Amino acid sequence: MSALAHQRLLIVTGKGGVGKTTLSAALALGSARRGLKTLVCEINTKERVTTLLGRPEVGAEIGSLEENLWAVNVRPAEAMREYALMTLKFESIYNAVFGNRLVGYFLRFIPSLAEITMLGKILYHLREKRPDGSNRFDRIIIDAPATGHAITFLSVPQVVIDTVPPGPLANDATWMRDLLVDPKVTGTVLVSLPEELPVNETLELHDALTQRVKLATTAAVLNGFIAPRFTAADRATLPPEVADVARVHELRAQLSADAEARLSKIPAPLVKVPRLYTPAFSRQAIEAVEKAIAPLLDRSAP
Amino acid sequence: MNPIADAVKTHDVLITVGSGGVGKTTVAATLALRAAIEGKGSLVCTIDPAKRLANALGLEALGNAETPIPVSAYEKAGLKPGATMRAMMLDMKRSWDELIERRAPADKRDKILNNRFYQAMSSALAGSQEYIAMEKLWELRTQRDYPLIVLDTPPTAHALDFLDAPNRILDFLDNEAAKWLLTPALAAGKVGLKLFSFGSSYVAKTISRFTGAETLQELAGFMLAVSGLNEGFRERATETRALLAAKTTGFVLVTGPMPDRMDEAVFFHTLLRQNHLEVAALVVNRVHQPVPASQWAAAARLPDPVRRKMEQTLEESEALAAADARGIEKLREQCPGTPLIIVPRFEGDVHDLKALWETSKFLFG
Repeated sequence: MSALAHQRLLIVTGKGGVGKTTLSAALALGSARRGLKTLVCEINTKERVTTLLGRPEVGAEIGSLEENLWAVNVRPAEAMREYALMTLKFESIYNAVFGNRLVGYFLRFIPSLAEITMLGKILYHLREKRPDGSNRFDRIIIDAPATGHAITFLSVPQVVIDTVPPGPLANDATWMRDLLVDPKVTGTVLVSLPEELPVNETLELHDALTQRVKLATTAAVLNGFIAPRFTAADRATLPPEVADVARVHELRAQLSADAEARLSKIPAPLVKVPRLYTPAFSRQAIEAVEKAIAPLLDRSAP
Repeated sequence: MNPIADAVKTHDVLITVGSGGVGKTTVAATLALRAAIEGKGSLVCTIDPAKRLANALGLEALGNAETPIPVSAYEKAGLKPGATMRAMMLDMKRSWDELIERRAPADKRDKILNNRFYQAMSSALAGSQEYIAMEKLWELRTQRDYPLIVLDTPPTAHALDFLDAPNRILDFLDNEAAKWLLTPALAAGKVGLKLFSFGSSYVAKTISRFTGAETLQELAGFMLAVSGLNEGFRERATETRALLAAKTTGFVLVTGPMPDRMDEAVFFHTLLRQNHLEVAALVVNRVHQPVPASQWAAAARLPDPVRRKMEQTLEESEALAAADARGIEKLREQCPGTPLIIVPRFEGDVHDLKALWETSKFLFG
């Protein structure tokens, strides 16, 4: 059984273009289908999760997609406003202070304020309760930025703790950091592709996250996996016109096998998602990926 | 003439831009390699925090120093360079420190280097990477004499910041708010902001409920310490902006054939045009090729079960090629007037000089 099945916060990251958003959508769908009230968050980006799931865009306000499933595109200005209102309680004070041009100018120079408020919003929802005392969300999935920027983003609470003198901001950064580094609560899911550079980057990312940011890798996902198809006997019978087709297929299958072997060095379950040939990345593709990652999400072995 | 070959010949700065995972770094390295092989000395500089460039050049690691590609790497690929190609990866923290050491007056230097805000800004603050990359480009362009500098940029969202970096710095320096905040303290020669001394203490108190009052004071100290550098920053920001818009500077926009990557490419293309920056070419990387009729015919003649396996493989290739072709057609419509270069997908990875050279044949026609 995978540790991921019990973690409440899943952070999905990896090299650009490896399928982080696809996997985030599939993890969210799978979690919701297993009865967990799930929120999937994109970070200040062109919203894609909702489209992939075949739903209208939600924007910066949490929107319901289907049973047990919500999404939000976290943006700095809105997160800042929510954070400020939570602290100040009164909208009039917010408008008086934060509407001030000087203040806006000044806040831009507080290190990583935008990042900490975006992360703060997400982690606030992780702690948020319903009137009956249960969690508002059982699980939150963050479609995090790519490698280097993910490291920067996830290091922000520690940077604030190291930079900002004791005060309310530093206090908030401390509980945020503590939630992120607690492997009972938080896990990172590293997404990769069966090519040399993405695999190199995944291994480096794993080292950086575990050693520098102190975040536990809870699963690795190898997207676009290609299984062997033609046996040596098959290939011996092929005429020259198509011999190369089989050769290339087996070469790609070999790259997949190499990637699997190298990624298995990461001490976490590795899940292979087969290469998809759907005409467009849509709900249909997400459903297929969700099936492939079921072993990560199931709480008891079948 | 092929637009890429033309761009390498007529430009002295080429900047590769695009979203992540589309082979932007590979294209950057390829441009520099081709230039060097053809006798135009080059430097390729990546500001990507991931160590992709070293991988692609078959080097162990890259640092802040401009390192020549070793002769052995060319020999292994069976190539003979006509000029030297160098490569570097921008070390953000070191570049910031060097900048301060060079530009700050002696009495302010340590004060800045030891300030907590400076340390956070120079190593972790989002956005400062883009600014220092601009500084580096300016330095390389003005202090060295590379016939061609190829600059690789971080993925789209950040590459936008990158384009915006000199504007933002100018905005910062020209901002009335900054002058208003800093001037009285500068005149008095002490650390302090109007925010604290003026009747706006209500505002200051409210902000300090978020940050703590000490944070504001320390930030004020930092801003005061760097304020002496403003004039130099302003000059370079203006020059960098001019450098980006120069006739000899060109942008190479790189994308993959996936629909989401292409949407971003169109967005980026529009933005570059709006900023009057020259897009020398739009490269669509790793495009799947359609299946030739001869392969379908040969597959049909195969005995089972190999025929089924072969037909499945061809159907998969056809599906990928069809999806790519649709995307490229849309891209062509949405970026009129910009030359499109299609690079087919290779078997295997581009991870050494030989593969880079093979890539260049598609880029350069």
